[in-house]
Amino acid sequence: MNAKRSMTLNLTDAEMAAVDELAQKKELSKTAVIRQAIRLYQMLDARMARGEKLFFEDEAAKKKAELMLL
Amino acid sequence: MSAASTQLIDGASGLPVEAQLHHAMTAKDLLLVERVWSAHRARLMASLLQAGVMRRDWPQSLHWDWSLKARELKLLVNSASGLVCQGEWQGLMITKTQPYQARLAGDLGRPLVYVDFLEVAPWNWPIPQLQQRARWKACGSVLLRHAVAQSKREGFHGRLGLHALPQAESYYERCGMTRVAVDATKEDLAYYEFGRNEAQHFLEGSMP
Repeated sequence: MNAKRSMTLNLTDAEMAAVDELAQKKELSKTAVIRQAIRLYQMLDARMARGEKLFFEDEAAKKKAELMLL
Repeated sequence: MSAASTQLIDGASGLPVEAQLHHAMTAKDLLLVERVWSAHRARLMASLLQAGVMRRDWPQSLHWDWSLKARELKLLVNSASGLVCQGEWQGLMITKTQPYQARLAGDLGRPLVYVDFLEVAPWNWPIPQLQQRARWKACGSVLLRHAVAQSKREGFHGRLGLHALPQAESYYERCGMTRVAVDATKEDLAYYEFGRNEAQHFLEGSMP
């Protein structure tokens, strides 16, 4: 298994509330939520760097919007 | 790359044999495995052609190429594991921790480990038309158990999803996975899932 390292994370109340809410909803620890967020961000960034695009689609409303990553 | 001890079954004698389960395989590892497997695949393909076996009956992963999957290992969402027995790679698997989510009703929208690719070495494929029997058995089950264990370590409670090749559907059903849907977005492959209880049952089961 990979060795793990610790870091202190400074979050606003709103950001911490979002982490708490996601942890509860997804049945994850807060660490796992943040780990998943990092993985997703890295994956999206890599795919967009390869020229792929990211879209959100609402089939019912027939709407499709491209998402830009910073 | 680190390894843990495990067991496979000798296809000829039915006896257990020592094997090593390697995790955190690198792109270079996959390239080395593919070099050996691709040569064996080519020989199998020639034998299938010579024996007049219809293409629909060929092993459905015969065209896979692990060297093409190697670059994906740069991303944190992907990890590769493999089984070594008697100095040869006997099975490989790539799992993802994103962006797939559970589809079963009780776990809808929750994270799971997705098995992107799982394949045993070509000499472990039973091919009745060529009188080929698996040299080593239980490779798939050992790798699938490892994926469930990964899901537990990640905090996903054993939840697991995968798309099965048609020839592998009955195997995953015997493992206790639930057939959720045929997926039009994935070449019409059937999507299977372990909920947490089924995953635990599989871990505790005796399926080789």
